[in-house]
Amino acid sequence: MNTATQPAGSWRRILGTLVLAVLLEQLPWSGWMLAIRPDFVLVGLLFWTLHQPARMGFGIAFFLGLVADFQDGAVFGQHAMAYVVGAYLVLYLRLRLLQFEPLRQAMQLFPVLLSVQLVVLLIGWLAVNPPAGLAMLLPVLSSTVLWYGIAGFLRVLHGKGMQDRA
Amino acid sequence: MATPGQLMFARRLGPTARLFIWLLVGVSCVVADSHYHALDGLRSGFSLLLRPMRVAMRAPGDVASELGGFLVRHRQLQRERDALLVERARLAVSANAARELARENTELRALLQLQNRPGQQIVHAALLYKGHDWFAQRITLDEGAGAGLRSGLPVVDASGLVGQVSRVYPKASDVMLVSSPQQLTPVFVERTGQRGLAAGSGQGQMELRYMPAQTDIRPGDRLLTSGIDRVYPAGIPVANVTRVSRSQSSPYLRVECLPLVGLDRSRAVLVLVSEPQITRPQEPRP
Repeated sequence: MNTATQPAGSWRRILGTLVLAVLLEQLPWSGWMLAIRPDFVLVGLLFWTLHQPARMGFGIAFFLGLVADFQDGAVFGQHAMAYVVGAYLVLYLRLRLLQFEPLRQAMQLFPVLLSVQLVVLLIGWLAVNPPAGLAMLLPVLSSTVLWYGIAGFLRVLHGKGMQDRA
Repeated sequence: MATPGQLMFARRLGPTARLFIWLLVGVSCVVADSHYHALDGLRSGFSLLLRPMRVAMRAPGDVASELGGFLVRHRQLQRERDALLVERARLAVSANAARELARENTELRALLQLQNRPGQQIVHAALLYKGHDWFAQRITLDEGAGAGLRSGLPVVDASGLVGQVSRVYPKASDVMLVSSPQQLTPVFVERTGQRGLAAGSGQGQMELRYMPAQTDIRPGDRLLTSGIDRVYPAGIPVANVTRVSRSQSSPYLRVECLPLVGLDRSRAVLVLVSEPQITRPQEPRP
């Protein structure tokens, strides 16, 4: 899993997971499934920012945020700024986050995901109109669960080697 | 800040500086989009890019419903067919009556020298995607400018008014739902004829605004479009009144309504394309 020996494979993996995340969001979600849909793209972005910080950047975060803005029919820049803030927070907390096992890592990531959603809320509030209810905080919970699932899965897949992947 | 040796992004600038640069870019994006509508081209680009993905991701569900339809029992199909034949006969009778009335109406209008109403043309569209409804409630349809859609056209389904086309892309379009906040619909109460203004209040609800306290309105009343805005044709069902309450502080009634369309149920909608109305000066008759 040493990234220096297989740069091309790593690129392919990053691109593949991000495209998969975008595709998952294109499914015709509706009703309560839509309400609790985790933010796949955000989780993918933060995951790779945590594990491959040299390959991810604010530019990619911004672009993925623009895609998310289009997705929700929101004003352009709303999710873009929030995703950039999320990437920054993960970079800032990176050493700390890498120390934990999946469950505690997901718990530590919860405030990051929450602050991303709060930035979305704030910008939407300032630029468009007041949001209808606080249902928009539900995806934070489901995204945390998704993160726990991914981190746990990788732990099972690669043994305890996730810490030294950076 | 990241500690020295952990500056993974930085070549020249630190992460915080880069964060602020991107936030500035983001703010300018928000302003350019919400105040000057300068990024519509980008939106169309994303629409073209993501459309094949959306269609592809819908395919499994469509195949599953096809297979489900294939396995429907023969008896059930026959029963449905009988019911539909009865329904068709009933509709044919009322269509004849309506045609007769329309003819009579045209004659009367000609007699009164009134302008003819613009004709309507219908475009079928399937519901392609439903986004998060945190700030405004929107759905995406699979027909766009190619089918003659324009911004502002009314969208209906079998049970009533769905909303209004808000953005048009080459092969897709966004519809703002009637229950979306700040979406106003001029309506009248079917029972009394009282006119009013229905506004979306979010969370799938609507409210009837500015109804004086002595208005005759009660739960169960149906609201139809009044057509005075010349956007919606008159007489499309919009919502049912669910609750009427009087507030101490306001001279108006608080009237809550529930839209008639079930967006979780309907998969296909109709867009009413009206022919552009030409207002020409009346020629002086000899």
